[in-house]
Amino acid sequence: MIRYVGRRLLLAVPTLFGISVIVFVLLHLAPGTPGAGGAESLRRVSGKAAEEMRRLYGLDRPLPEQFARWLGRVVRLDLGESFVDHRPVGERIREALPNTIVLNGLALVLAIGLAIPLGVAAGSRPESTFDRTSGAVLFALYSLPTFWGALLLQTLFSAQLKWFPLFGVASDAAPGGFAGFADRLAHLALPVTCLTYGTLAFVARLVRSGIVEARASDYVLASRARGASRRRAIWRHAFPNALLPVITLAGLLVPAVLSGSVVVEKIFAWPGLGRLYLDSILARDYPVILALSLLSAAVTLIATLAADIALAAADPRVRDGSGV
Amino acid sequence: MRLFASRLPLTGRVAAGVVLLLWLVAACSPLFAERARTIRLEERLQAPSATHPFGTDDLGRDLLARVVTATPISLAIGLVAAGVSLGIGFTVGATAGYFGGAVDLVLSRLVEVMLCFPVLFLLLALAAVLPPSPATVIAAIGLTTWAGDARYARSEILRIRELDYARAARAMGASTPRILARHLLPNALPPLIVSAAFGVGWAILAEAALSFLGVGLPAPAVSWGGILSTAPNWIEEAWWIALFPGLALFLTVAAYNLLAEGLRAISTEAGRGV
Amino acid sequence: MKRALAAALHGILVLVLASACRERPGAAAAAVPTAAPTSATPTPETPRLGFLDESHEGNPVDGGTLRRRLTGEPTTLNAVLQSSGPEAQVLQYVQRNLFDYDASLQLVPGLAEGMEASKDGLEYTIALRPDAVWEDGRPVTAKDAVFTIRKIADPKVPAPVFKPLFEEMTAIEALDAHRFRVRFSRPYAFRPMCFVLPILPAHRFEGQSFLKSKENRAPLSDGPYRVVSWKTQESVALERNPRYAGPRGHFDRIEFRIVPDNTTAYRMLLDGSLDEDVVDSGIKRRAASDPDFAACCRLVEFYNLDYNYIALNERSPFFSDARVRRAMTMMLDRASIVRGLYRGSARIISGPWAPDSPAYDADVAPLPFDPGMAGRLLDEAGWVRPPGGGPREKDGRRFEFDLLVSAGSEVGRQIDEMLASELAKAGVTARVRAMEWAAFVEKVDSGAFEAASLAWSAVDPNPDPYFYWHSSQCAPAGINDGCYSNPAADALMVQAREELDAGRRLEILHRLHRLLRDEAPAIFVVNASQKYAFRKRVRGLTTSPLGLYGIWPGPLAWWGAPEPAGQP
Repeated sequence: MIRYVGRRLLLAVPTLFGISVIVFVLLHLAPGTPGAGGAESLRRVSGKAAEEMRRLYGLDRPLPEQFARWLGRVVRLDLGESFVDHRPVGERIREALPNTIVLNGLALVLAIGLAIPLGVAAGSRPESTFDRTSGAVLFALYSLPTFWGALLLQTLFSAQLKWFPLFGVASDAAPGGFAGFADRLAHLALPVTCLTYGTLAFVARLVRSGIVEARASDYVLASRARGASRRRAIWRHAFPNALLPVITLAGLLVPAVLSGSVVVEKIFAWPGLGRLYLDSILARDYPVILALSLLSAAVTLIATLAADIALAAADPRVRDGSGV
Repeated sequence: MRLFASRLPLTGRVAAGVVLLLWLVAACSPLFAERARTIRLEERLQAPSATHPFGTDDLGRDLLARVVTATPISLAIGLVAAGVSLGIGFTVGATAGYFGGAVDLVLSRLVEVMLCFPVLFLLLALAAVLPPSPATVIAAIGLTTWAGDARYARSEILRIRELDYARAARAMGASTPRILARHLLPNALPPLIVSAAFGVGWAILAEAALSFLGVGLPAPAVSWGGILSTAPNWIEEAWWIALFPGLALFLTVAAYNLLAEGLRAISTEAGRGV
Repeated sequence: MKRALAAALHGILVLVLASACRERPGAAAAAVPTAAPTSATPTPETPRLGFLDESHEGNPVDGGTLRRRLTGEPTTLNAVLQSSGPEAQVLQYVQRNLFDYDASLQLVPGLAEGMEASKDGLEYTIALRPDAVWEDGRPVTAKDAVFTIRKIADPKVPAPVFKPLFEEMTAIEALDAHRFRVRFSRPYAFRPMCFVLPILPAHRFEGQSFLKSKENRAPLSDGPYRVVSWKTQESVALERNPRYAGPRGHFDRIEFRIVPDNTTAYRMLLDGSLDEDVVDSGIKRRAASDPDFAACCRLVEFYNLDYNYIALNERSPFFSDARVRRAMTMMLDRASIVRGLYRGSARIISGPWAPDSPAYDADVAPLPFDPGMAGRLLDEAGWVRPPGGGPREKDGRRFEFDLLVSAGSEVGRQIDEMLASELAKAGVTARVRAMEWAAFVEKVDSGAFEAASLAWSAVDPNPDPYFYWHSSQCAPAGINDGCYSNPAADALMVQAREELDAGRRLEILHRLHRLLRDEAPAIFVVNASQKYAFRKRVRGLTTSPLGLYGIWPGPLAWWGAPEPAGQP
């Protein structure tokens, strides 16, 4: 087991390196003056001044040299300064991080928390009315594009019904205490819903099919024959096995939610990492783009690794060799 | 073919019907081209009515016509992008799964790099670097999604490789190409088709997202995502601009997904039978 | 999209040699309605399209908080490094300029009390007010001014707004504690305008990196207000600066809320979280039929010096011929755009200035919308339809080009699509290409485009067209993006910048205007109105062709009447 984990961790290093190289190269291939600023910017500078800026940021050096310098700094955990406002990249990330964690964390917890009971309930009674209706609804949710769902939610609940605010983390005149908390919840409602329903549908259907398959298996039948209640049979025996595919895919859920988060953050003007990423790409803020790419890759790797470890712990065949 | 179709569950058959209908609409879209282009500022932002069943957009163009003319573009890009993704993915994944060892190690690293790669960044960077065109969008989507197909292909090949008849063939000394052609490929075909069907739905969504973010197809070729990209500006005044293109998108993706599920149901049956 | 002050040096209104000559007829005070109000339902305060001057009305009351809107986050509060509107809005309260523009675009003293130019026009000596003092008690000295201007000219410092102003500077020195002298390599009629800029405290940057200093997040004030807090993505708050010796503002506290989205800002205005909001035509239309708006707020609308245009690259084979460029202009139905897209709140322009700019000659009528005539011009220029039909061709090349627009510019895109639609009927294919900002700007700056939709945003009243249209300023070295070059136009531009007599200078510019109308170096579209919405309690507003802020006293003269009971 230790060897398996160790081997996976070791293999993660070339992966991170590969990602950095590709991001770095692509950044420098993409047109656009670094630190150009957003569309609000008055930064119309002549070609001469742009040249000055490139020299200022060390961008006229050969690519390998730039990469080596950047790598050297990253290894020392120095992520550099943003081209846009010259503040340390770490500071900008730290500001946006809590917002993203709240949004994505809540979405993941809700999705999985709701999906499991839903999937189990549907799987225990396959072909029942409940199963069919929930199946149809889940399928619909699964096929719904995130950004369209966001637009619809905004139109219905915010523009027409005025139940929820349209954008942002909190109203600016937000009082503290309970009213402030309620206000933040109101602002969270729509974005979290957008991020949740896709994952919810996906996981629920997975759990359902897992339960359906496991129900028919020998050990479940055996436990029923021994007199275990239906519920016990499902939860103690079918469920853990149904969970296996969920765990394998859980690792991939994280990057999926993160990239869905970018679109949702943009639509709802949520000041999280996703929006920071999008804005940085548009402003060609190289240090921030590099840092966030690395961060998201690392998070994905950790998530996949955790999922694989969990799977290996459950299934000895995996750790013995055919899986790499 | 009829045998095949008759084994599709009901939902799958309905989905196949919807897909065919969409292609029909796509084929008829040139009839709507004129209406989709006509700018009439006096008719801006009109709600759905008899003359304009889907309403009009911010330049007074008929929304129904625009949604129809966007159909072939969205469908075609989705199909080709899925094809590219599947082509690359399956090749890489199958090779890794079949040969194992060092080949597998290296290729799996490559797959892992692509899986962990921030998708949005790659899409935006590619869209920025390459001249805007359908080819760029297809390349961007294909390059960002092949890793998922590769992973799936690898696990399928691993599974098939260990099946009895394949091992038997190897034990009898059959050459690699023969094994590939006679045993692996035919058995890999069903999952490949299923992957393809799911892939189309995903590719259509990806293209819509790209266009929505503003880095998709250049005008005048407009896709559903492109029409949707202007919708946030009019969210309080013209909800129909958000509703109808999105509905078309949703229906298409749902149909392809349903079709894919039906195909998967058949293929697992078939797989089990072998 | 804003164009940087890259053009620089403008300054007919030399302060000390102040001529009484008004540059803009009918500029200053009273509101001059230039278009009928467009609201359908009668409202208590009918919005008028024209200039406002409430500076002498009512009895200003001190106290209260003013809540203003920023459409984006400032990236820095360092006046030299500033690069966008939100930054300028905040800094205006915090750091005084050496000189300011008043509502009639005259230069008035600010932190400086006077300016002297040498006989040859190469040297300018500026005297600071002796009572100017920083928030920490230290006096504002010439050393600070020299430090600031040196930083602006420093090649290692990105100072997009001010750097071009000092490109011709050869020397600068402090003469004593309060006077400094700047020397330039050549005389320039508009030179005094380049001293409309704030000063930084040299002592705060000692021993620190200029770009990364904490001072850039919490600037020291020498103006009526000081920064007390800056919550990223949320707000910037200012309070009175007790050490400031000049005229105080009326409000005790100014809060800038960062609200990028127009719809949210509108809602915040209605519920009182904002006192001021900049609005677009969509919101204006909603407000006109919204009883809540009529009850709480009023619309302020006026024309400033901004305008939209479509740059045509003269280096491209399509647009090197003036007949083709004129034809392009005649294919754009600008009247329909004014009616349909702007609902009447825009004016067609016939040259590279807004109608309120001194250089604009109202007698130069815009080219008409005439697709028939345009088609004939294209034929004349050699672009003909082949016998079998199809797009126009010349020498085997089809008339197809890319029309670039920034993805964020909704109006730009709409105008482009209208043009493309009309061009298609005439056998010309224009591919409207929305690009994201950074890539768009790079293409335009390097001159690597065929046609691009741009907006000119005036940060000062300088009408000097030299940097934008003179043949020596072609991109990428300069900012004549389309590389327009015409010897007659060049000569007029050079003449204008060297002519010290205001009246003669105007004549030259008017002649240039007529020439540029016929030459059509770009498709000049419209000058659209600026629209702001205010809660009724905010009084003392003054508008000008330079806008609501950026003039003196501008927002400092606003005051807040106590909200009557029962206000929403």
